[in-house]
Amino acid sequence: MPNDTDITLTHVTKSYPLGKSRIPIFQDLTMTIPEGDFLAIMGPSGSGKSTILNLIGGIDTVDEGQVAVGHTVLTGMSDAALTQWRAAHIGFVFQFYNLMPMLSAAENVELPLLLTPLSARARQERVRTILDIVGLSERAGHLPSELSGGQQQRVGIARAVAADPKILLCDEPTGDLDRTSADEILDLLQLLNRKLGKTIVMVTHDDSSCRVAKRTLHLDKGKFIQREEELMVCR
Amino acid sequence: MPGFFKQCSALSMTNLRSLHRRKLISLSMVLSVTLVVVVLLGFLSMANGFRKTLAATGAADVVLVTSQGSFSETTSRLTTEQLHLLQEAPGIARDAKGRPMVSPELLVPVDARRQSDGQAAPLSLRGVGAEALELRPALAISEGRMFTPGTGEIIVGARLAARYQSMQIGDSITFGQSKWTVVGHFTAGGSVFDSEMLADIGQVRALFNRQGQVQSLRVRLGNPADFAAFQTYVEGLDMGLKAATEKDYYSAQSQDLSRIILFIGWPLAVVMAIGAAVGAMTTMYSSVSDRLVEIATQRSIGFSRSAAFVSTLIEALALTVMGCAIGVLIAWLGLDGWSASTRSGASTQLSFELALSVPIIVNAALLALCVGLIGGGLPAFRATRVPLRSAMTGRST
Ligand SMILES: Nc1ncnc2c1ncn2[C@@H]1O[C@H](COP(=O)(O)OP(=O)(O)OP(=O)(O)O)[C@@H](O)[C@H]1O
Ligand SMILES: [Mg+2]
Repeated sequence: MPNDTDITLTHVTKSYPLGKSRIPIFQDLTMTIPEGDFLAIMGPSGSGKSTILNLIGGIDTVDEGQVAVGHTVLTGMSDAALTQWRAAHIGFVFQFYNLMPMLSAAENVELPLLLTPLSARARQERVRTILDIVGLSERAGHLPSELSGGQQQRVGIARAVAADPKILLCDEPTGDLDRTSADEILDLLQLLNRKLGKTIVMVTHDDSSCRVAKRTLHLDKGKFIQREEELMVCR
Repeated sequence: MPGFFKQCSALSMTNLRSLHRRKLISLSMVLSVTLVVVVLLGFLSMANGFRKTLAATGAADVVLVTSQGSFSETTSRLTTEQLHLLQEAPGIARDAKGRPMVSPELLVPVDARRQSDGQAAPLSLRGVGAEALELRPALAISEGRMFTPGTGEIIVGARLAARYQSMQIGDSITFGQSKWTVVGHFTAGGSVFDSEMLADIGQVRALFNRQGQVQSLRVRLGNPADFAAFQTYVEGLDMGLKAATEKDYYSAQSQDLSRIILFIGWPLAVVMAIGAAVGAMTTMYSSVSDRLVEIATQRSIGFSRSAAFVSTLIEALALTVMGCAIGVLIAWLGLDGWSASTRSGASTQLSFELALSVPIIVNAALLALCVGLIGGGLPAFRATRVPLRSAMTGRST
């Protein structure tokens, strides 16, 4: 019996059209990401790292095989159903933060809460709590353009966890940050994983992310391999 | 589903707040809608003002008799014999002295000089019988007095007096060889008579060398219901005469001209609206591509396709409504009550005011709405098809 938020990819095949032919990304990929995992996925550009996140997050679909989260089989669900499911179960963290530039930090964090039945007051309360967790209570009224990259990413993470999803999908969350800010973000993600039990799947090029991740997998040519050196570095 | 409205309003607010990034192109959409609205309002209020003027002119119990086949009074001719027979017609009201209330009339085109630039403009001088005022209940002397029959006195519409030279009381005014003394100004309740001058028909005939000429006969009926009997009598004379109530006569005239105005106005406005809709579409497509990452991000977070659609459409409609409001304001301040004039059938000037009205504004607003819906529809659909993976790869601005 799978846990509620075990992520399972079963015999997944995915390719993209290129002219008349198709470039295969994955062929017969099977993997499980158990609830509470913090998985770092590394690999060369174009190896399909973002594609995996998109498949798990229900914003892209497989050619063959099946993607399921807990008991919910995403493969074959309608766009509307997937959208609703995402709102409740998935938080995205993007490399370029993707904050709404004309909304304040607090309003950005409130955005996913508008998809919940929470009252306006309850939403304010929750926004305050979460900004507090990410250490940005002082910046609630600031626009993204008035924040540093690290601060913007913390708002991005706050937005991702606002509606309390069980799973966080992070695509190179530190890719655009300096070392110090990157470490702060990694620490924050670790906190969310260890203290709040979020399952985190993180695509990264950042070697030091294996410091916070529970597992690191290397993706190459559509296959996951575990590299000796990485295991060495992290132990 | 309250959730749906919450989604739509949240995304709409986010869109509208980002408008400043697309200032110029959004402004161009607003202004093109404004232009469409102003043009349509201009034409419609012109037609409306014209219709109002002519509608104010007609009375149901005053009958105009002309010779058949003539489109207007000016080309009509009544003989003395016809006039005598017409006075015998049934249904004619009589005054206190028992005289039939009729007025033989003759319109003469004359030139008067405008105060503004001294240029000559054609006006109508109407020779009328002594009963003329009884036949025009809307006509009231606003200053001075009525002309005395048999003299070279003249009264002019107050509206004309304000605009043309030598029309103040006591002035003498010359038309060709004839010389007249202005003794009164009148108002005629916004009717065509407002832009006429009245004098004794005998004098007009004498001074313009139109001995014995009468173009039309105005007749007051005791009761509007008598019209049928009167008309039967006139047709029974078999002299090719035509009787129409003033109301019918002028509304027929007004219909012709307002139809012409509308036939020009609507197609022009619609063609411009199509242009504006194409422009709006360009604006909205660029809005969607400007917001690509934002839309993809919102959709990834869990906002629905329909919310993305509605919020884009609302942005289009907001710009349209803004354009429409500016257009109505411009028309209100700039056009409403503006005097226009036209050469009417009588080849003399008839002046009237552009009149806005609620139905006209509703018409223009509906046209603007079409611009917004057509211009915003396809781009809004595009917004629902934004590939979500662009949230992963794209930088938001
Ligand atoms: N919609 C698409 N149409 C065509 N090809 C696509 C599409 N999406 C992804 N690809 C291709 O699939 C491959 C994997 O893409 P993906 O974005 O998953 O790579 P990635 O590992 O995330 O790379 P990067 O490190 O550069 O982000 C790439 O070669 C990419 O060009
Ligand atoms: Mg990627």
